[in-house]
Amino acid sequence: MPTLQEIGARLAGGEPLDSPDCEAVVASSDLLGLGALADDCRRRRQGDRVTFVRVQQIPADALDAPEVAVLPAARELRIAGPFPEGRDGVRSVERVVSAAGAIPVTGFALDDLVERNASDASAVADVLAALRDAGLAALAEARADRLSGPQWLAAAGDAGLKIARLTVGEPTAEDGGAALIRRVAGWGGALAHVHAFAPLPRNLPPQPTTGYRDLRQVALARLLVDNVGSIQVDWSLYGPKLAQVALIFGASDVDAVSAEDGGTLGARRAPLAEIERNIRASGLVPVERNGRFENVGT
Amino acid sequence: MTAAPADLAARKVTAGERLTRGDALALYRHAPTHELGRLADLVRARKHPDGIVTYIVDRNVNYTNVCVARCNFCAFYREVGAADGYVLGFDEIFAKIEETVALGGVQLLLQGGHNPDLPLRWYEDLFRAVKQRYPDFKLHALSPPEVIHLSRLSQLPVRTVLQRLIAAGMDSIPGGGAEILVDRVRRLLNCYSKASAAEWLGVMETAHELGLRTTATMMYGSVERPEERIEHLLRLRELQDRTGGFTAFITWSYQPPNTELGGSEATGVEYLRTLAIARLVLDNFDNLQASWVTQGGKIGQLSLAFGANDMGSVMIEENVVRAAGAAYCMDEVEITRNVEDAGFVARRRNMHYELLGEPFFRQHAVPRFTELDVAREEGDEHVPPELDRYPARSRAGKLRQQSR
Ligand code: SF4
Repeated sequence: MPTLQEIGARLAGGEPLDSPDCEAVVASSDLLGLGALADDCRRRRQGDRVTFVRVQQIPADALDAPEVAVLPAARELRIAGPFPEGRDGVRSVERVVSAAGAIPVTGFALDDLVERNASDASAVADVLAALRDAGLAALAEARADRLSGPQWLAAAGDAGLKIARLTVGEPTAEDGGAALIRRVAGWGGALAHVHAFAPLPRNLPPQPTTGYRDLRQVALARLLVDNVGSIQVDWSLYGPKLAQVALIFGASDVDAVSAEDGGTLGARRAPLAEIERNIRASGLVPVERNGRFENVGT
Repeated sequence: MTAAPADLAARKVTAGERLTRGDALALYRHAPTHELGRLADLVRARKHPDGIVTYIVDRNVNYTNVCVARCNFCAFYREVGAADGYVLGFDEIFAKIEETVALGGVQLLLQGGHNPDLPLRWYEDLFRAVKQRYPDFKLHALSPPEVIHLSRLSQLPVRTVLQRLIAAGMDSIPGGGAEILVDRVRRLLNCYSKASAAEWLGVMETAHELGLRTTATMMYGSVERPEERIEHLLRLRELQDRTGGFTAFITWSYQPPNTELGGSEATGVEYLRTLAIARLVLDNFDNLQASWVTQGGKIGQLSLAFGANDMGSVMIEENVVRAAGAAYCMDEVEITRNVEDAGFVARRRNMHYELLGEPFFRQHAVPRFTELDVAREEGDEHVPPELDRYPARSRAGKLRQQSR
């Protein structure tokens, strides 16, 4: 099996990982070695820039509230929860988009739309087209472990909707957590419709994952999933400390920074100054983006 | 890219040579974080080739929160006479020891505020009573500033105070109160008067001469500069060269919430870098602890890749960091899981870092806990009856005693 140094030298020369390389990185227990390799890989793509986004969540079940109050700091309005059935749902999205003005509105999970439409490709395409026509800037997420394959990413792309975040719903121990990353890595061209891959699970198990495991997942994601621009970590869900360290293990995008003032949200939801300070303290340069992954000034 | 002096310093580490001040600063400032971690891990593996990561089952008891020192980085203390100021009774401490023993615990880490109403005799009586009831139980007690406070209160030399405390049952001294051992910083933190850098080191040197082993700490991330952190480490290294009395080093970040000083906490990456540079500079320290109580379990575990070989204490109870808003908890099961998940072997130890064996929970049924206990339930304002045996020095204390 090739060593991490040999793999690093090949990556630096612009060569992609071949199959023995992939086996070697998945088999490696050298966390710092993997981290350094993933960090090099990510720096070749993004230099020392780290993007982040301040998100205002709007619960899907509150879409028919009389007013949508948009926070001034929000750079993405994200409708959280399942898509409301029927025309009412589309109209609600239109209302949020109208209230948001220039701020991109994202929402819903692709896997959820597929499941609700019983994997009927034409029904899914209709919903995606309706959401696009309602002004949705991107689907908020797609959970890779709940998708049967890349054809659904392609369906979203065909409908003109990008997926802001390809992520993982439930943690899995299969292949030390690498099995799903390898599966995603095999989705090839369909990943062009995905802005970022967030390899850490959204549903936190009762027994938390460990720091080693989380960082290994982030590093493997960067090394194996070549077709996605950014590896993402969630600031609110994983907390500032782990999220910050992930930035030197291959992550280059920080999701879910609160658009609210930090005061009432607790230490884990840090405001703008906190996220910028954390990115700088890891030797990187913060760049704020919006829900379309366009850079915006801070 | 690593600057040339940092490259040279890295080569010195690889060759097993001692780092100079300039080497340490170059690495701390310029080495990439993975590289710093790799070097620290190399040194850790040299000192602990067996892959064992230790921890101790003990309880962090703060016998009083009343303190006249008023360090501006401290969220824990209460002024003399404050309604929520407390002193634990001997019986409360005995009960805590019994709970600790039931969980496989072998010692108390006993520290507290500089309470003018607790004379040296209170400590001696407490230690003797503990040793009488629990002869094998160890007391890792009273950081250097507390010893200095007792020396001033009793108008006895530090050496005499230490001798009396040792005679009463003190087994070792925790390295608290070191903050940054540079007087410029100590003045800014309003902790110079509780102990100057030389006084802190002096207590430790005397304790080592008297045969005690102690730990050393560093609280970084308040007002100090990077070169002052390095200065702190060099002062510890120099004393360790002379006495060899330090068993371990622990660093943690200043916890700003609820403090007079305020500000923001140093980040996780800064913690890992600081831990790693400590491992490289403190080449004469065997053990480095991970501070999961300030950094959380995940960064606590990652510390094992950045030079730490000890997960510190299962703790059971914690009051000081909690007062500043952090409330991480890891019981023995969780510590063991994290150690093993990182590829190490988890072993219990005592205060001298001697191995005691496999995790206690694997041999005994012990309850899980998901929250650290506190010194006292909120609202419990009772005054222990034995306090009346010790003449109060403070006005509030005198008034209380007169009214009883
Ligand atoms: S750090 Fe210790 S000495 Fe300083 S105020 Fe707090 S309790 Fe008192």
